[in-house]
Amino acid sequence: MIIAERKPMEEIMRMLAPYKKVLVAGCGTCVTVCWVGGEKEVAILASELKLARSAEGNEIVTLEATVERQCEREMVAEIKDKVAEVEAVLSLACGSGVQTMAEMFEDKPVFPAVNTTFIGMPEKEGLWVEMCGACGDCFLDRTGGICPVVRCAKGLLNGPCGGTRKGGKCEIDPEKDCAWVLIYRRLEKQGRLDLMRNYYPPKNYRAVKRPGKVQAAKA
Amino acid sequence: METKIGVFLCNCGGAIKNIDFDAVVKNVAEFPGVTCVNLSSNLCLEEGKEKMISCIKGENIEKVVVAACSPEFQEHIFREVLEKAGLNGHLLSMANIREQCSWAHDGDVTVKAVELVKMAINRVRLLQPVEKKELPVNREVLVVGGGFSAINTALQLSRVGLRTTILEKETALGDGPRELESFYGFDTGSVISAVEGDENIEVLTSAQMMTVEGKIGDFSVRIRKNGEEILRKYGAIVLATGYQTELALDSELKSGLNIMSQEQFCRMLGNSSLETEPKSIGFMFDFSDENSRFPTLATLNNALTAKKKWGSEIYIFYKSVKVDSEGMEKLYQEARDCGVVFLKSEVPPRITVEDGLVNIKAKDVFLGEDIILACDVLVAEELYLPAEETGNLSSLLNIRRDSGGFYQDENVHLYPVGSERKGIFFIGGCRGDLDLGRVLTDISSVVMNVYELLSSGKIMVEIERVKADPQKCVACLTCIRVCPHGAIQLVRVDSGKEVAGISDLACYACGICAAICPAKAIKFQGYGDDEILAQIEALGESLHGRNVAFCCEHSAYPAADLAGKLSLHYPENLRIIQVPCAGQVDVFHILKALEKGAAAVLVLGCEDGACHHITGNTRAKERVKYCDMLLKEVKEESRPVAMFNLSPNAPHKFVRAVNEITKRIEESGR
Repeated sequence: MIIAERKPMEEIMRMLAPYKKVLVAGCGTCVTVCWVGGEKEVAILASELKLARSAEGNEIVTLEATVERQCEREMVAEIKDKVAEVEAVLSLACGSGVQTMAEMFEDKPVFPAVNTTFIGMPEKEGLWVEMCGACGDCFLDRTGGICPVVRCAKGLLNGPCGGTRKGGKCEIDPEKDCAWVLIYRRLEKQGRLDLMRNYYPPKNYRAVKRPGKVQAAKA
Repeated sequence: METKIGVFLCNCGGAIKNIDFDAVVKNVAEFPGVTCVNLSSNLCLEEGKEKMISCIKGENIEKVVVAACSPEFQEHIFREVLEKAGLNGHLLSMANIREQCSWAHDGDVTVKAVELVKMAINRVRLLQPVEKKELPVNREVLVVGGGFSAINTALQLSRVGLRTTILEKETALGDGPRELESFYGFDTGSVISAVEGDENIEVLTSAQMMTVEGKIGDFSVRIRKNGEEILRKYGAIVLATGYQTELALDSELKSGLNIMSQEQFCRMLGNSSLETEPKSIGFMFDFSDENSRFPTLATLNNALTAKKKWGSEIYIFYKSVKVDSEGMEKLYQEARDCGVVFLKSEVPPRITVEDGLVNIKAKDVFLGEDIILACDVLVAEELYLPAEETGNLSSLLNIRRDSGGFYQDENVHLYPVGSERKGIFFIGGCRGDLDLGRVLTDISSVVMNVYELLSSGKIMVEIERVKADPQKCVACLTCIRVCPHGAIQLVRVDSGKEVAGISDLACYACGICAAICPAKAIKFQGYGDDEILAQIEALGESLHGRNVAFCCEHSAYPAADLAGKLSLHYPENLRIIQVPCAGQVDVFHILKALEKGAAAVLVLGCEDGACHHITGNTRAKERVKYCDMLLKEVKEESRPVAMFNLSPNAPHKFVRAVNEITKRIEESGR
């Protein structure tokens, strides 16, 4: 799932400064799940915006809409009537959703209200951790299903650095686990520790061709 | 067509003096949808109720607003009136014009009364009927544990006609408090044979609980026995997993020939072929835990038994003796009378072993001097701890433990043997250091509770009062993770989609899930976003300069009522919105109140650690903190948002909270 964080209000206020009527647009998928861009957050942000602008003596009118997936043209098209009513759109979707919205309504400025941060999973209620860097060349077969590219602070591919702390914690951040300790334990559990002896050459990040494009094998 | 709303005002037999009811009637009658406005002086008496029924029927009223005393007292009565008049009882909204209006302020409060009635009218418009239904429950009970509490619970449950399974991890039943067997005179053998001969009881030994799913009336439990897994269904689960003890000794000392536990000492006492009887025996207790009950009982009983049997010199080192169990005072007196010596010390004695003797060195509080005693045997202090599997079981069952690791969260609102989840109970040692009398009480109350829940095979509950809309639910699992009562699980709906399913049986209707749902998919009948917003919007322009207080119905709301009753006055500009739990108040509600013009917003919930819904008040506090941050972001910090914790009997604290927020507004110069 894509994880995002709300931008500081000051930045949002700057983007919207010239506009008097905006649509606050949420997305019902990833950003709803990570509590940043669903219907609830849309309502909160709209309310906060009105409070802020009213304090400035510069009232703003907000419309609210949340579509199931903002990264789908067909779904974004469902709110075209609301978009037609406003001067600008404030999107709470991930970067992909913002761009879909911007492409669909080229005559309207579309602003991001969140920073898309990573692909991750919930560790517990309200806490998400990064799991995947979308590097385009998956390594997980060799590491017991634990990604050293994003879960090791240094992205090391051949075992831990010398700084692993007592208790298997990372030297950069003692709150975080050393990915390579996790990998070692997982492989040990599976009886595949021999994999640790392999040497992997530096990762070919050229596999990430920007902009990425994936064509499904079957139509 | 507009919903027909009937408004019933009551002046409480003249007890509401400072409201001009004629003005209220005139004002309210003009509100959209209001079909009739009636003024009574005895709405809660038979005469008043009859008039109300005939008016509802005569005018074809669809929804009702009662403006009278606090809903705390009479809401259930007026719900019954609605039912008698052929309406669903949930189509009622009350305006508290007595405790929270007339009695709370000096001078004329007609304006406030009108506003309160308008708030109730706006809310009632959105209310929908809540139906009741009987849901089937499984009548079988699972008792986990095989000791004294578990066996006796199973026997009693069987006696009231409920089939019971005893799940014991050991190979046989009957592991009890050996150190006190002689004191209590247990006859474990006959109890076990009673269990074995009972057709209503099934015993699974060497068995382990693997997973538990479902809720009260329908728990699915996966049990591993002899390497095989079996799936069983139960209506309720009783945990009686007992306790364990650990010697509180310095790391260099180990229990052995002359330093031992109570249990080892008991075995020594029972050994008839002992070569030499100990001439001097030291006991220690109460240094680590001053409230120890079982260790105190065991010490007194074993010391006395040894004195009587062997005539040994006996010294008991203690910090303080608390004799709060049945028979304990007598035991203590008898021990003293027999010549057992009690030595009080503030710190644990220093123990060394030399030449086969245990040297105990302590500073006696009364003598003010160091004492060194060389004893043949030391029965060391024992710590009373939860059984090993307690942690594992609590996470399997999704229930909390106290700070000592025992079952049951430290929350005054939890029934002594009840967990925060309906249908899961605790008995005896697994929930704390209890003596036999208390364990027996536990057993009886659990049996009574379980009987009440399951005996008829069905429970009458309100249906879909809190419900996740399957269309809007994105299955983010947030509600499942936050529900303090374990009432939500993923269910598959007709479309095949997995969504949050709220069990009507297990739900306490606290609204914590509805407040946190990021998709606004959970609808809470009566307290949803719309109903709360409707009350705020009812005030319109007059909300400006008013303070809004979201009051938990378990604490702040009754506290506000009490303030009214005691004529503890507070500023008249407070508008109270009742919520089922402070955890039901969301950032969105607070911001909306401010956006619509409120000068300040208060969230008032139960005291720390005493929330009826376990986490509601802490969540509310976090949300208020977040709101505060948001307001700073938009430079609106002059409009305060604050959270206060109070108990229902704390009207002064309520008034202080309201005054404090008023003062903060004045200081900010708005």
